[in-house]
Amino acid sequence: MTLVELVRLALARLGASRLRAALTMLGVIIGVASVIALVSVGQGATSGITSRLEGLGTNLLTITPGATRTGATRGAAGSSTTLSVDDATTIGAIPEIGAVAPELTTQQLVVAGPLNTTTSIVGTTADYATVRNFAVWQGAFLTDAAVANDLRVAVLGSTTADDLGLGADAVGTQVSIGGLPFQIVGILQPKGSAGFVNEDDQILVPITTLRRQFVGGDSVRTISVSVRTADGIPTAQAELEQLLRARHGLSGSDPDDFTIQDQAQLIDTVGAITGTLTILLAGIASISLVVGGIGIMNIMLVSVRERTREIGIRKAVGAKRGQILVQFLVEAVTLSLLGGLVGIALGLAVSAAIAAAAGWTFIVQPMTLLLATGFSLLVGIVFGVWPARQAAVLDPIAALRYE
Amino acid sequence: MSVPIVALDRVSRVYRTGRVEVPALVDATLFVQPGEFVAIVGPSGSGKSTLMHVVGCLDRPTSGSYAIAGSPVADLDDDSLAELRSRTIGFVFQSFNLLPRTSALENVATPLLYQGVGRRQRLARATAVLERLGLADRLAHEPSELSGGQQQRVAIARALVTEPALILADEPTGNLDSHAGAEVISVLRELNASGRTVVLITHDRAVAAVADRQVPIADGRLVA
Repeated sequence: MTLVELVRLALARLGASRLRAALTMLGVIIGVASVIALVSVGQGATSGITSRLEGLGTNLLTITPGATRTGATRGAAGSSTTLSVDDATTIGAIPEIGAVAPELTTQQLVVAGPLNTTTSIVGTTADYATVRNFAVWQGAFLTDAAVANDLRVAVLGSTTADDLGLGADAVGTQVSIGGLPFQIVGILQPKGSAGFVNEDDQILVPITTLRRQFVGGDSVRTISVSVRTADGIPTAQAELEQLLRARHGLSGSDPDDFTIQDQAQLIDTVGAITGTLTILLAGIASISLVVGGIGIMNIMLVSVRERTREIGIRKAVGAKRGQILVQFLVEAVTLSLLGGLVGIALGLAVSAAIAAAAGWTFIVQPMTLLLATGFSLLVGIVFGVWPARQAAVLDPIAALRYE
Repeated sequence: MSVPIVALDRVSRVYRTGRVEVPALVDATLFVQPGEFVAIVGPSGSGKSTLMHVVGCLDRPTSGSYAIAGSPVADLDDDSLAELRSRTIGFVFQSFNLLPRTSALENVATPLLYQGVGRRQRLARATAVLERLGLADRLAHEPSELSGGQQQRVAIARALVTEPALILADEPTGNLDSHAGAEVISVLRELNASGRTVVLITHDRAVAAVADRQVPIADGRLVA
């Protein structure tokens, strides 16, 4: 008996009771489909979040000032004013670092013709575009000259431009920011929102201008740093720490008065969280695979009982135990494998639909498909062996007499 | 003299249910030579079926020795018995025992499946035997589409397809009307005439009368 013949026999048998076969397979179909869909959706979500985080900037380190400390009371993180524009300038000397952009933010009322909005005015330098992955849609970005000469020029985020009813022809015109006229030099391309901050709803102006007109002082809220290569991040981080500690006059035992956040670390953390969630969901889904397997075992046991006489006949005409065992096992495996394949198709369809609806990329890893097929095979074997064994050990005389 | 097809030597078969021992077959001695047509005749409860199971290698004797076509069956495990059935015995049962929802052709080809014969050859051999039994136009019919007499002829074809040394027929006419029964008996006679060894088990003396030799059985004992 070759495998082809066994499968032919099993298919003929299952074809004789299609509805029963279909209902039996349903458990495995649902199990496999949900595992596939959940894993695929999990991976889609992970890659979606990761790509958005990467959109914030490549090899990005973010330095924020530490908390103020008044006696025993610790203030909010970022509340102290320990980071300065000079810190940012010095940082640029570290060889691993490609670009440095200090940021200082204030909220101002912006007026353009009849429309107005209140939004974040970010004072920064020309490097900001490189560090934070911004591309200019119309006009130009802030220039070093504009920063050096604290010109009243502004680059608008795409959302802000929309809010103010400004299109491509707005470049070169003026807006009023906090009551002062600024010339629009550029409009940014939309980036998509990253979490809670909408990076498209802001206006960029030279940091010198912002300090002179609105904020004053020397402190900055954030320094964004772009490291040249991903491999250089740890070194850059260590050197930054050393440099800032030295500049801030901290002795060996003093805690840092700043925080360096690594974008890659954040991505890793997000990846770990979504990965854990995916495994958890897939684990729950695989419970239904087990339930499906029990369904197969149940129906195979019924089948063995129903076909006792048939088994007796087969044995009388010379079937050995092993041959009967294999025949019933192949039947169970055919059920679960067919269910698995239908489940894979269904799971892929569902995850493609979810990905399309959520705007993720539809990700299928061949490994997932292999695993799903392997698992349905395993389910068929594990839950098919016992009924098949029951069939194989039947006494031919008793089986022939069975009514 | 050639090797007997059936060589039962003081064979007993005792069933145990709890503490009670029921001797179903006692000291049975029977030799069937190649080409013989032997009928074993007895009323129900006489041990006919037990004898059939032992002769057909479906069961093992409790004591005594049994050899079929020269092969002793003592100490054989289930699979070896199955192998022996497959090679040397063709069964014809009272209730036909065809596989349901399976064509006559596939039914007849089934014993060859377990011998490991390839599909093409299986179907060719099964077709040839069915044609020989006048069922050439019934190959694709399932048992439920066949008359009793036709079903029994399919069963005989299945018994013949492996070219066994022995055809063992257990009440083959029991479920048939007299016309179909006579037809089946004449098929068995023809097989015997062409050299096949046949053992027929029946309660019907008229049926047994067609055999060369009748062996009555009563209370588990053969009356030779």
